[in-house]
Amino acid sequence: MLLDVNALEAGYGKIGVLHHVEMGVAAGEVVALLGHNGAGKTTLLRAISGLLPWGSGDVVFAGHSLKGSGPRESARAGLVHVIEGHRVFTQQTVADNLLLAAYDLPRGERSARIEEALAFFPEIAAKRHDRGGSLSGGQQQMLAVAQGLVRRPRLLMLDEPSAGLSPVLVDRVLAVVSQLRAEGTAILLVEQLVEKVLAVADRVYALAQGRVVLSARCDEPDLRSRLESAYFGSTIARD
Amino acid sequence: MLASILASGVAVGAIYALIGIAYNTMFSTSRVMSFTAGQLGMLGGVFGSLFVLRLGLPPIAGFVAMLACCALIGVITEFVAVRPVLKSLDQHLYVLSTLALALMIQQVTAIKWSTEPQPFPRLFELGSGMLDEKFWVPVIACLLTIIGLELLYRKTLVGRAFLAIAEDNFAARALGLPERNLRIASYALAGAIGGLAGFAGGQLLLAFFANGPLLNFYGFVPVALGGLGNNRGAVIGGLALGVFQQAANFLVGGIFSSVAVFCIFIIVLLLAPQGLFGSHVARRV
Amino acid sequence: MSNASQTLTTNLSSWPVRRAAWTTFLPFLILFGLAALLPLTGNEYWGLIATRAAIYWMLVSGLSLIVGFAGQLAIGYVALLTLGAYTTSVLAAGNVLPPLPTLVALGIASAAGAVFGVIVGLPALRLRTFYFAMTTLGFATIVTQVALAWQGVTGGGIGITGPEMPAPFNTAWGFFYLCLGIAALCTWGASNIAHSRVGRSLIAIRDAEVAAEASGISKARLLVVVFMFAGALAAMAGGLFASLQTYITPDAFTFELSLLFFIAVLIGGRGSILGPLIGTVVLTILPEIAAPLAAWSTFLYAFLLLVIVLAMPGGIAALLDFESRKPLAFDRAVRPNPHVLGELFHGQRDGRSIVLRDVVLSFGGVRAIDGVNLEIRPGQIHGLIGPNGSGKTTTLNVISGYYAPEKGDVTLGSPLDPAAAVTRAGRGIARTFQTPRIVGEASVLDNVMIGGSIDGRATFLEALLSLPRHREDERRIEADALLALRAVGLEALAHVRADRLQHSELRFIEIARALVLRPSFLLLDEPAAGLSGVEIDHLGRLIVEIGRQGTGVLLVEHHADLIFSICDDVTVLNLGRVLAAGTPAEIRLHKEVVSAYLGG
Repeated sequence: MLLDVNALEAGYGKIGVLHHVEMGVAAGEVVALLGHNGAGKTTLLRAISGLLPWGSGDVVFAGHSLKGSGPRESARAGLVHVIEGHRVFTQQTVADNLLLAAYDLPRGERSARIEEALAFFPEIAAKRHDRGGSLSGGQQQMLAVAQGLVRRPRLLMLDEPSAGLSPVLVDRVLAVVSQLRAEGTAILLVEQLVEKVLAVADRVYALAQGRVVLSARCDEPDLRSRLESAYFGSTIARD
Repeated sequence: MLASILASGVAVGAIYALIGIAYNTMFSTSRVMSFTAGQLGMLGGVFGSLFVLRLGLPPIAGFVAMLACCALIGVITEFVAVRPVLKSLDQHLYVLSTLALALMIQQVTAIKWSTEPQPFPRLFELGSGMLDEKFWVPVIACLLTIIGLELLYRKTLVGRAFLAIAEDNFAARALGLPERNLRIASYALAGAIGGLAGFAGGQLLLAFFANGPLLNFYGFVPVALGGLGNNRGAVIGGLALGVFQQAANFLVGGIFSSVAVFCIFIIVLLLAPQGLFGSHVARRV
Repeated sequence: MSNASQTLTTNLSSWPVRRAAWTTFLPFLILFGLAALLPLTGNEYWGLIATRAAIYWMLVSGLSLIVGFAGQLAIGYVALLTLGAYTTSVLAAGNVLPPLPTLVALGIASAAGAVFGVIVGLPALRLRTFYFAMTTLGFATIVTQVALAWQGVTGGGIGITGPEMPAPFNTAWGFFYLCLGIAALCTWGASNIAHSRVGRSLIAIRDAEVAAEASGISKARLLVVVFMFAGALAAMAGGLFASLQTYITPDAFTFELSLLFFIAVLIGGRGSILGPLIGTVVLTILPEIAAPLAAWSTFLYAFLLLVIVLAMPGGIAALLDFESRKPLAFDRAVRPNPHVLGELFHGQRDGRSIVLRDVVLSFGGVRAIDGVNLEIRPGQIHGLIGPNGSGKTTTLNVISGYYAPEKGDVTLGSPLDPAAAVTRAGRGIARTFQTPRIVGEASVLDNVMIGGSIDGRATFLEALLSLPRHREDERRIEADALLALRAVGLEALAHVRADRLQHSELRFIEIARALVLRPSFLLLDEPAAGLSGVEIDHLGRLIVEIGRQGTGVLLVEHHADLIFSICDDVTVLNLGRVLAAGTPAEIRLHKEVVSAYLGG
């Protein structure tokens, strides 16, 4: 496994959000993370990338524990987290937004990496001198994903890249996910749109109340009904 | 008389504006309004007088030494009074921690330097009357600072990173920007800007330990009126405040001018809590 | 009814007893008793120091309500001391009017202090903390400048003679006893306020402002009264200070003094009266016993402040709080007793519903809710579900008055004031929050009593003097709060500091706080989040029983099974619109709902 999460416990202050989470992502696969608002998906991503310090358990990426490291160290190791809500820097141009993502890279490589990332999104490449704030929500989301790609991640974590986007744009973003997988990048995807995600993912985890309640391959035949019951209760694991 | 009101008003206003910019520079990377801003201005004057008059360094060497010392004070502020309380930003502990540090700086200066205003050296021996260097040096300093900051923010990656952190600290961290180092750097920068304010205004304000609280308040007024983090607002507000204050000084006397400034400050803030140029309402629920 | 009240009394006696009154008063008695014996030493110098401490304490007792309770960082309070000192001296000396008797002058100075206390406090009603700190600082600078410049009245830099006290207060010890007496009265009054509805409301404003608003506590009205009170005390202290000094100049009122007052409160501890009292005494004596350090006293005070902020935010009060160090039972579970609700809820319920008609609200161009219609009927449990960002919580916030709808109306019989959260408690609408808004430093019981704030009838003055109506209020609200705590199953923890509890327990405290209001409508914002399966079952039974009392419940939840098992009606939102509405059975079969959840 490229990423291994073992018995992870995390939360905000006194509020425990994640309870004994076990999951993993292999190199080159697309894994979807599903669950309700408040189930702990975003918290899990933040804990993995080091944005949220966690308590006990362990996160191992490419053979090294990420305990105590922040997002900067994770990104250097090749684990990039694109946070929810397409939070690009609205006062700065598209090119500058990407340049910021390349902050840690050697000076000479920056522009090549930016062009590489922009190649995935011709629609924002055309607007490279526009300010981030002037982009539409969908374009901002593409920019946010492009920021992640500048680092040439081995594992890219996307938190709800489809939120607030029109169906066409959602397909556009998910198409890039497929494209990345074809090039060997592993992806951990948090999504609400179950059907669309299942179409691009290899495996799926469902979270409820901070616990993994379902882990399955996407080609298992009864997956949909198992998901439905995971969402509507009755089979939610209780202890 | 109008000319002398303008000359001294713009000069004092430029000093206030620089202190306001120091406030903003610290605020942008940490969301902290630090009481040390005014003390940095005070120290700029004291260090200037110390290095140039007492130790006899050439003005340019004294200036560089002053900048280095004030930048160091800025970094100390970050370590001692800001970083430890950042986690509890909503409890406003920073108000107390920075106030405590500011008072310690002031008291040490009073005891180790002097409790009386000390003379500040003439820097260029240029100009007289309305065109005396003491009136235009602060203005030039303010102008150079604004140009320098614009260049920093627009032309360098570090400057863009400052702006990124100011706009969305969380997103900047997620992107892997070295947020902690950049915050320290911004405190050093604010220290230098505050020191510059005191050094440039040294011939007007002298090297006096009690300048701190005064600069704290009059440097904060333009920031509050212009909106937190808005340098343009701080410069416009600072110059307006300086001219208004000097005009009131000449026309109705110094005491009532400070009363007037205070009243206007309160009234404007009550009418426009986000400042005249700012607009930001946080969601509460 | 008589049966119910009988069970109530028997149960009351079995609850953990509050710390006996005498242990609370003992430290005060010892402190003031020792001070009263001071003349026996015959040392007038120590008498002078003690008088000064008593005068400082008059100011600090009021200031502790502002800084320690309301959490407003008033750092320039020396200004009000200056104001009181000069007003009293000038009026007694007859520089402006014919000379007035000292005590009359003192009274007028106090009134002036009350007025200026409010003026300086005004920014605190609207502005962020740092601004308020700056304003008080600015005010302190200006008062000194005016005292210096207004030579005809204040004597400028030369100064003015302090007021002379009438017999028997014109001797050193007579004046000492006068000040000690007033200080004791201030202690009594401030303690009364601290342990009243006002004290609890102030702390609620400090630590859980949004919840205070939902409980009907008006920040502006409360703060204005407290600023008046503290301003009057400070100015009175100033008059006595002038008399003690016999001669005052602007130099006597340094910022260092302001710092002393402020730090005395913080060393003492927020939300305490005894702590700041000890802090004042210690800080007044400190420079006397460490004379070589006198020049460094500001530095010392500032250093102390930094240490307190960084290392012991609780101050002396936290050090003295032995109760909170006893370990709590580790494996405790919340066991609600829904049958108790019958005792709490009694009397007539009115039969009107909350009705939302075509409500629209957008944030920055995005429609968060887009034409929502909803009716919450008395005694019915109404579930509100929907995917992320569908507008559930926004709807709840519109009903509870945190947002004003752009279009459409919200009525409960008559229209509910838009964007006026503070009015909702009065209309019988209570709520809980997604993240519990609890005062960590207050006891569980005090937290729940905050919910009963609008039930109190006594005025500030009645609370200050602990008059019968105030005591009757306290008894009633406390009994209600204990009942509510018993209903949610937390009565055993009533006297524990709330920040020692677990997250799930905080959720039940919030429900208890809402229940004290005996609400006609209860809005629950994801009450089951973070609860265990067993706790969710308890919660469900509690909500059902609340509904049986005639209270209409709006339940915003993600736990679909909880919604489907206890709700009478369910509304499903998607993208700010009502996707479906009906009984749980109908919703379960609704195709669009299933696909909205699973994203078809």
